[in-house]
Amino acid sequence: MHSFIQFITGPMVWISFGICFIGIVFRLLQIFRLTREKENFMFTFLSVKFSLRSILVWLVPFLPVSTRKSPVFYAVSYIFHILLFLTPLFLLSHVILIEENFNLSWWTVSDWLADIFTVAVICALIFFAIRRRMVPEVKFLTGLSDYVFIILVALPFISGFIAYHQFFAYQWMVIIHVISGELMLILIPFTRFFHMILAPLTRAYTASEFGGVRHSKDW
Amino acid sequence: MNHKHLFIISGLIFLTFFAYMTVSAQNEIIRLDNSAFENPQRPGAVFDHDTHNEMAGLEDDCSVCHHVYDGKTLIEGESSEDSACSDCHELKPTPENSVPLRKAFHNRCKDCHFTSQKGPVLCGECHIK
Amino acid sequence: MQDVKTNKKVIDEGVEAGLAKLTPEKIASVINQVLEKETGARFKAYVQTCMRCGLCSDACSVFLSNDRAPQYSPAAKVKQTILEMINKKGRVSREFLSDAVRIAHTECNVCKRCSMYCPFGIDIAYMMLTVRRIIHKLEITPLYIQDTVNSHAATGNQMWVKQDEWIDTLQWQEEDAREEFEDLRIPLDKDGSDIMYSVIAPEPKFQAGLIYQMATIMHAANVNWTMPSTPGWDNSNMAMYTGDFETSGRIARIHYEAAANLHVKKIVMGECGHAFRSVYDVGNRWVGWTAPPIELIHAIDFYHFLLTTGRIKVKEKYKKSVTLHDPCNISRGRGLHHKAREIVNILCENFIEMTPNKEHNYCCGAGGGVINCGPPWKGTRMVNNKEKSRQLKRTGAQVLIAPCHNCHSGLEDIVEHYELGMEIKFFGDIIFEVMEKTIFEEGN
Repeated sequence: MHSFIQFITGPMVWISFGICFIGIVFRLLQIFRLTREKENFMFTFLSVKFSLRSILVWLVPFLPVSTRKSPVFYAVSYIFHILLFLTPLFLLSHVILIEENFNLSWWTVSDWLADIFTVAVICALIFFAIRRRMVPEVKFLTGLSDYVFIILVALPFISGFIAYHQFFAYQWMVIIHVISGELMLILIPFTRFFHMILAPLTRAYTASEFGGVRHSKDW
Repeated sequence: MNHKHLFIISGLIFLTFFAYMTVSAQNEIIRLDNSAFENPQRPGAVFDHDTHNEMAGLEDDCSVCHHVYDGKTLIEGESSEDSACSDCHELKPTPENSVPLRKAFHNRCKDCHFTSQKGPVLCGECHIK
Repeated sequence: MQDVKTNKKVIDEGVEAGLAKLTPEKIASVINQVLEKETGARFKAYVQTCMRCGLCSDACSVFLSNDRAPQYSPAAKVKQTILEMINKKGRVSREFLSDAVRIAHTECNVCKRCSMYCPFGIDIAYMMLTVRRIIHKLEITPLYIQDTVNSHAATGNQMWVKQDEWIDTLQWQEEDAREEFEDLRIPLDKDGSDIMYSVIAPEPKFQAGLIYQMATIMHAANVNWTMPSTPGWDNSNMAMYTGDFETSGRIARIHYEAAANLHVKKIVMGECGHAFRSVYDVGNRWVGWTAPPIELIHAIDFYHFLLTTGRIKVKEKYKKSVTLHDPCNISRGRGLHHKAREIVNILCENFIEMTPNKEHNYCCGAGGGVINCGPPWKGTRMVNNKEKSRQLKRTGAQVLIAPCHNCHSGLEDIVEHYELGMEIKFFGDIIFEVMEKTIFEEGN
């Protein structure tokens, strides 16, 4: 068991981050190459100014009309996405592991706050799942994979929550926590998780067309 | 939202709190003194000195943990049982000692445990609630 | 909820005849050719980025018109067409294709409103146009719009107008317009003019009075203008909407070549939205021109210039209450809604905004080639335009200004079907009505 834990908390972390980063770089290069090859004109129209303008606007809660049409979903979604990154990044236990291995550390949130964040993330995921079942136009679009994504994201948070509170099966919870977290990292470049990288790009091009060519807003 | 979902969700919330309350009440156990830390986030690590040394076969060699350094060099054969870890290891790395207290504790335990393939290595295995 | 509409399948002879000729091999090879060879990273990104959140739904007037039935949301249209084609690697049935034609050609106006509601800015209109490209290559495009494209390909205009008919119509309008000014001309092929004025083929065919009005406005404003007698006078482009990009690019090129041959400084085009999209946004870029090779402005821009520089003076403001429909292709397509409002306020006394408006206005329901699919689809179009009718009704205005031909025709159908009792006008109609019929002199 020790060597297994040592593997998943040691080399496997490197492997996961490696696949994640190399995968992202690879995918981006692939996109760049394919665009150069087939739709080179896109670079002509891509505008930094209009891209940034639009992305900034879309980051401000309730500025785009769309966000005001579905305020509850957007509110939950904003909070979810912020906490999804904030919680693991500033969790004391994670920073301690970094510190112990790389002599590197940064600001952390206190454990009780991280606990609330975790519950919030889980609640948001439950909300997304319920929304997928309840809202007809979303239900129509939903497939099995959408629930799989929700579960994949929920796993590290739920297992982390149970492990932190040491409710039961502590060792197994940590193992599930670590492995599911690593799985998520590995899957980022190759699944729809990749929207974290692609969404700013698709937004940027649409914004460039709307702003640069069509002289209008895209929000 | 229909009643079935409401029921399941409220059930889950209730169970979570119930489990939390149960775990909060527990017996007195021997823990490391963590009073040197400001605002510690976890209870001190569970550590029974004599039992540990007996199981780890460390009765004769105190200097593995109670070591003495001169700058960066370990002084062989000397040990420091009479001083607290926090006497040398500060909360933050200092020019004299680059290993902060928390890291000193964690690595001291985990490194041995991983090497010997024995003993707790996960957070909650020592910081038992 | 059972949808009344779906129980009755619309029969389009063009689609049916095309489907009958298809074999599974042909279907798969065409779909895969388009998906593999004609799309790039952008298409892949759109497919892989969509998180199926459904936020595009509220953007779509077709979805809203059908009481939020889930199959009408923009993402649902993608799911029911292109995603299925991708998943099945092109091995789809004729029934599937029949539905795909209905969805891509008659239930989406490619108005791009959904791109403003998608947090990722996914261009669903582009996805639907890709479906139409496949439909075009499978030769199952709806009959009426295909006929229009055939006309484009054969004559350079969309209504089979022959060159002598065109010239004749202009001369006839010139003669009639001399009621306004005795020496009025519609100058044909006048080399080196400041402006070439281009229209869409329905004007000479059915609405020649609009040319009469424009000639009057040009004359009063003392503009040095011309119209070409040869192909290129029609700026419209239905091929752009059927996925016949080759024809689409060709007719956009003919338009600019006509202007180049006449050595004009600028092209002014009539009040049409899709034509503007063709020559300003799509056609020119397909040919390879990043921007229009010759300056091109929409009538709104031109009227704005005439009215704010005093070339056209308002005798008396228009009295009836008016509301303004912002055509997608010139508001969301060119940001002309600000100038349009300035014109309305110069021309009219009583302006009522419709909501939503400007970039967020709903499509007229006819755009994107939907009305051009013709009579077989009119019934379903009226159902799909219910939300638009509600929006129009809320304004309570007597007159509806629609500076776009397609919108005009679509809105007329809506006003009639939903008994809204509104009068629909072009800006040109109102300018013609309220203008001083005197000739502008430079320096006065």
